[in-house]
Amino acid sequence: MVSISLRNICLDYPLYGAYDYSLKRRLLGHLIREPGEMRIIRAVDNVTIEAEAGARIGLAGPNGSGKSTLLRLIAGVYPPSSGSITVQGNVVPLLGLNAGVNLDFVAEDNIALLLRISGRKPTRSVIDDIWAFTELEPRMQRLPLRMFSSGMLMRVLFATATAFPADILLLDEWLSVVDGHFAEKAEGRLLNLVSQAAIVIIASHDQPLLRRTCSSIINLDHGRIASTVPVEPPATHAFELREKRA
Amino acid sequence: MHHTQGTPHEAPRRPSVLHIFKIYYPDLFGGTLTVIRDICTSLKDAFASAVLVCSQSAERREIVVNDVPVERVRSFGNVLSLPAAPTYPWRLWRRIAEHDLLALHAPFPLADLVFAFGFGAKRPLVVHWHADIVSHAGLRWFIEPLMRRTLRRAKAIIVSDHVLVDNTPLLREFEDKCHVVPFGIDTTGYDWPKIEPHHVNDRGRLVLACGRLVPYKGFDVLIRAAVNRNFEVWIIGEGAERLQLEELIRFHGLGERVRLLGSVNDSERIKLMCLADVFVMPSVTNAETFGLVQLEAMAAGRPVVNTALDTAVPRVARHGMEAITVPPGDAEKLGEAIDTLIHDPERRRRMGLSARTRALTRYSAAAFRQGMETVYRDAVAASNEERSPTTEPPQATGWLDTVRIAAALAWSDMRHRYVRSLLGPFWMSLQMAIVVVVLGSVIGQMSNASMLARLPMLALSMTAWTFLNSVVLDATTALQNSASLIRDRALPPVIFLLQCTFRQALFALHNACVPLLLWLVLSPHELSHALAALPGLLLFVACTFALSLVLGAMATRYRDLKPIIESTLMLAFLASPVIWSSDMINHRSTVMRINPLTHLFAVWREPLAGGPVDPVSIVYVLIALALLIFASVLTLVHLRKAAFWI
Repeated sequence: MVSISLRNICLDYPLYGAYDYSLKRRLLGHLIREPGEMRIIRAVDNVTIEAEAGARIGLAGPNGSGKSTLLRLIAGVYPPSSGSITVQGNVVPLLGLNAGVNLDFVAEDNIALLLRISGRKPTRSVIDDIWAFTELEPRMQRLPLRMFSSGMLMRVLFATATAFPADILLLDEWLSVVDGHFAEKAEGRLLNLVSQAAIVIIASHDQPLLRRTCSSIINLDHGRIASTVPVEPPATHAFELREKRA
Repeated sequence: MHHTQGTPHEAPRRPSVLHIFKIYYPDLFGGTLTVIRDICTSLKDAFASAVLVCSQSAERREIVVNDVPVERVRSFGNVLSLPAAPTYPWRLWRRIAEHDLLALHAPFPLADLVFAFGFGAKRPLVVHWHADIVSHAGLRWFIEPLMRRTLRRAKAIIVSDHVLVDNTPLLREFEDKCHVVPFGIDTTGYDWPKIEPHHVNDRGRLVLACGRLVPYKGFDVLIRAAVNRNFEVWIIGEGAERLQLEELIRFHGLGERVRLLGSVNDSERIKLMCLADVFVMPSVTNAETFGLVQLEAMAAGRPVVNTALDTAVPRVARHGMEAITVPPGDAEKLGEAIDTLIHDPERRRRMGLSARTRALTRYSAAAFRQGMETVYRDAVAASNEERSPTTEPPQATGWLDTVRIAAALAWSDMRHRYVRSLLGPFWMSLQMAIVVVVLGSVIGQMSNASMLARLPMLALSMTAWTFLNSVVLDATTALQNSASLIRDRALPPVIFLLQCTFRQALFALHNACVPLLLWLVLSPHELSHALAALPGLLLFVACTFALSLVLGAMATRYRDLKPIIESTLMLAFLASPVIWSSDMINHRSTVMRINPLTHLFAVWREPLAGGPVDPVSIVYVLIALALLIFASVLTLVHLRKAAFWI
């Protein structure tokens, strides 16, 4: 049973200034009675989200409205300041594509390492499948990633990240770098991945993308839920698009 | 004591409350204990109470007082007014999980220590603020942050009067959490048919005081106030100051009129209260926050003389209405006030009546019970709400996965060394070999011992030191270097600290070929010695990992630690027998014996050389490991917040 349940979640994000990183300063502050006033920003404010299997949730909102922070909260990166989180199912957070990439390693090794990080065994056939999706030349597998253009790099990373289905998929704004042809293919795969995952939460500024993929869109503002908009017929709309492109 | 024949209440399970304090009946009698006992008794229908305290008596640990189970942790005397009970924090931690609500009776820094370290964070905590720390104020800088942490995580703070919040800076910080619940008193015990509440002794000269014989109660002031007057003073209570007080009574020749009655049971005390003409509360410091005994005297219809403290004391019995309030510590004024009352029976009667009225109306047991129950219930309910279905944090990976990912990352790090380099990590081994040869020849010159025989051990020591040094140094930057994996892939931060140990272990295996070769060439091959060294080596690695975990996390949170750690490591290298061995220098070197690294090396080097290990070294290393493991557990708890630091 896959589900996400956030109840009255708040997250107070401590803003560490230059002095807050200093132990000496902190200890001295105690001695000279200078209250070490820690600045705190409420990044997520009283958010309640219940998602059952089949939910496709889009997070929209201006920069700094708490979209990424909320995704990280669900992924377990940040502990909530108050409220309760219950997540059942295997969470795959794809928040920054180039996390864990070492540009000095050859492409193949990077793929293997990234797969290991997500708990998969990198077999030859898996790596070949991933490589086939990138549509790059096979011999490039043996080149260090440093030699790749940013678009090529993004193809490799995208193909690796989306190689396996997940129960709960957390996606953050990341379909912008690739060129037109690959973008279509990538969206196709993403939709495919989304259709396999039980719960998907996507944070994006791209309203059309959210409308195509999601069943409801949550608008965030200053860490609060400003509004929740159900998207009318999500599935058929997405299907049409895919067929048009195929 | 209140002996109610309680029928066993097997209603739906009552939430259980653990009362946390330093001492309890029957070891002591006093106001705070009365409050705890009254809470347990009056809330017994709604909450199942238990008490965890310290006791110096070697008798049974589990006893039952007034139907309440009491666990007494062995204490070995008092240090700075605190019980020296080393196992108390441990017992408290074990007991926390069994209860639905924790009631800490402050001040009790020993318990603050447990809460400050984040233990029991899942249980709601209510703090009963009985008094501020008044004695040993010099330790405040240490205690106050602990108390602040406790108060920060408390669901509610209960004080007996609002004036405490106004006059205690620490409480003012948490004003919104403070609930004023004045103590209540069960007045039924005071309704003696034969003694009317307005009964006034014709003789009119019996002054009563009651409390533990400790300095803040100010009984010495009362005794001095009795000099050159003609009233009689009876003091109920026992305590450490008894001898001094007896001496003072003798000194002033007051043996006739001033008596220390010692401990007296409840009914006897009530009788004495009703017999007395004036009740005196001469307390001299703000440690006296409320003065439950003056409330009892008020219930008995006695006029009160109390002191103008910044606490609830002069507000429970108010100057001119139920009491005469005098400046604390002023024996002359105190004596005058008592005399005034002694000589004015009409005033005594009037004050006694209004005192009884105030005790009945304002400080009733029912109001106290209701106030307590509300606060307790709200605390339990609030915490239930917070952790409604399951409190399990979203755990991305299990332990095994953590180790597996760390190993994969370390393995990839090592493979990376071979990229674009022919020898890979063996470059470092080569470097090591050169260092060993040079150092060996220099030391050979210095100590003119057989240098060749020393070389394998020197090489191995250098390898081990390089391992420890690099693991700790790597750990200080590991989390920052892996920020993207922690924040974007939600990997637990501990992976990257583990990765440092794994990676350096792989490199150390490369380096180990230098000592291995030297050993094969230069030493008699005693395999049994190598096997005997294995447990010590494991201890060494475990200590190194724990140390890197703690320092790695701290250096990420506090960036100025890294240079300190670097220079400390350098110093440790010079002060430890790594390149020199202990028999080369004076055995009595204190620095060397205190230095834990000496022992950490000794536990595996001695067996390897075929000698016995000094038991002191083993004990030293085991204690160091235990401390490090304790610190590591704390670190792991706090590592959840690591994403904020990077």
